[in-house]
Order: sequence, then C-alpha cells, then structure tokens
Amino acid sequence: MTSLLSGERVPKSHARIEACGDLDELASVLGALAASLAEDRVVEHEEIRQIQGELLHVGAWLAVTPGSQTLDMLRPPSDAPVEALESGIERMEKDLPPLQGFILPGGHPSAAWAHVARCVCRRAERRVAAIPSPEVLPWLNRLSSYLYVLARHCNHTRGVPESLWKA
Amino acid sequence: MFSSRLLRREWLSESVFEVELERPRGFGFTAGQSIRVFVGESGRDYSLAGGPSAGTLSLCVRLVEGGAVSPFLAGASLGASATFTGPHGVFTLAASTRPMVWAATGVGVAPFLAMVRAGATGFTLLHGVRRNQELFFRNELEASAARYVPCLSRETGPGCFSGRVTGWAAANLPPGMYDISLCGNRRMVRDFMMIVDERFPGSRVFTEIFF
Repeated sequence: MTSLLSGERVPKSHARIEACGDLDELASVLGALAASLAEDRVVEHEEIRQIQGELLHVGAWLAVTPGSQTLDMLRPPSDAPVEALESGIERMEKDLPPLQGFILPGGHPSAAWAHVARCVCRRAERRVAAIPSPEVLPWLNRLSSYLYVLARHCNHTRGVPESLWKA
Repeated sequence: MFSSRLLRREWLSESVFEVELERPRGFGFTAGQSIRVFVGESGRDYSLAGGPSAGTLSLCVRLVEGGAVSPFLAGASLGASATFTGPHGVFTLAASTRPMVWAATGVGVAPFLAMVRAGATGFTLLHGVRRNQELFFRNELEASAARYVPCLSRETGPGCFSGRVTGWAAANLPPGMYDISLCGNRRMVRDFMMIVDERFPGSRVFTEIFF
C-alpha cells in the first residue's frame, strides 16, 4: 500500500500510482537525454529542465483524487506549458528537412534517448487517460510531439542521417 | 526569495528553540505549511509553528551540530537577516467528518501547533518525545485536543504512555476510519502506515517527514 497526496491508502498497482510512476520514469529518461545532449544546446537543456519540473507538478496533481481539498494547495494545470512546448516544436522544425517517411528510432545517442522518452511519454499519456484527470492530457500529448521533433533535431544538428523505414 | 530579520529566540531545551522572523508584507500561508531557510546554497525546511494570522513567522528548530542551517538560526544575532522561500507543502488540514488523529515526534509537533493556533480543535494528538521535559507546548496543545496522549520513549512520567506513538496507536486506538496526520521521523511515519493498513483500513493518511 502507499498514500495518495490526498491521503487515501491505495495499492501500489492503483491507476494513479501507475500514472505517477510513468511520469517519474519519463523525468528520469529526460535526465539521460539531457546528459547525452551537447552542452551548447542551451535552449533544449533549459526546455528539458522546465519539462522535468512540470512533470513534478503534473504528478502531484494526479496524486490527488478529484474533490479533495489538497487540490487547493496545488497549482492547477494551465495552457502556458502547452504553449511552451508548441513554441519549442516550431523553433526546431524550422531547421528540419521535411519528413520523407517513417523514421526508425536511433542515430545519435541524444536522438535515441529522445525516442525512448517519447515512448515513455506516450505510455504515461495512456495511463493518465485511464483516470479522470483530462486537464493534463493536452500537455502530455504535445510533449510526445515535442520529443519526436527533438529526436529529429538532435540527429540533424549532429549531422547524423535519419534512418528511414523501407517496406 | 524573502529576507527577514530574526526577532526573538527562546530555547526550550538544550537543543531545541523557537525562533521568530519578521513576517514579510503580503506573506500568506496555511497552517501546516513550511518555509525553506537558506544559508548560502543550502536550504532546510521548517514548518511554520505560528498561526496564519500571527504578526511574525515562528519556527521550532532542533539544533543539529554541523548542520547547514540550524546553527545559523541558533547562533545569529537578533536583527540578522535570514533568507527563505515559501510557503511550501500540502500538509494542511482538510475539512473532514472523520475523527482526526495526529501523531508527532520531536519538533514534528510544529505544524500541529500552527493548526491549533489557527483554531483546530477536537483532534486526538499523540505527542511522542524521549523525555517528559521535551513535551514542548503541551499545555497549549492539550487545551485544544479532544484527547492528548503524551508518549515517552526513554522514561516514564505521570499520565504519560511509556513507549512510542505507534505503540499507543496499535494498542489503544479504537477501530475506525480516521484522517491521520503524521509529522516526524521517517521510522515513525513508516511504522504508523503499517498499523493503519493493518488496523484502520479506509483511513486517509497525510505525512510530513522531519529528518
């Protein structure tokens, strides 16, 4: 058993605990991604740090059951983090060649980590979708798009060609 | 980040003291929340022990020899500036129809003191310390409690339970669904959780760990 932030004792397999675990995993994978990212990618480093912070906010939000007074103590989800992701996507996409097909995950280690992070993010989104907390779903959805573009951006800036799927 | 002058310090024992800081204009908090006091880069969290409407910010601090922040709070001249952030934390009281059980060890009593000073009544408080003389604020806490249980782990005392708060809870708390708030060392919090899962299923548990 473990405690939700709103006090309820729940099994470790509870849907909210599973979702929080995925967010924690995602934050850690983002740490690995940041560690593999060149130091001069200052903007991306800062964006990843912001995302890791936002994951803590989202995790706290999901660890509280609806209607609990504990929610009053937390910062409610807003549009600002969604907009930050979208502006990051736009910035990186400007430099990228158009997509030619399905990309096979890999390339530079930072790109490979970004793909791993994207998959963990997708799983977190699926877990979050299973609990009644729709307010954080748009951010998670945009986050996996951001990580996809970031993966391409990492390969592009390091001169590593994308590996395209040949059917 | 706030910067406030130290206004008053009162030693409650050889190692525990209450210190009051100037309250910055517009600084609001809910009873049970904490501030993080900084000395250089090192920050330590302290629960605010005063009520939310008090004119100053009051902390209940245990002096840790070689610690990062408590030696400063213990030794700085009155009038010196302390920098801090806050308020932090969600260890606050939610309105509830369930009976409230609070358990504190040592200076973990601080957030409960704030709740009492904010007007909380009707709770059962298990106040765990080593010796009788460490039951700081006993009179004030007892006056608002429906039941006040002093628990001494290292000696016996009149009207006191001999043992830990977890020992009292396991043996004496009647079956029921409670709102349980725990503030103290990690071992107490962990042991209390196990008792809750075994004996008080359906209770809600709120925790704040003091190191």
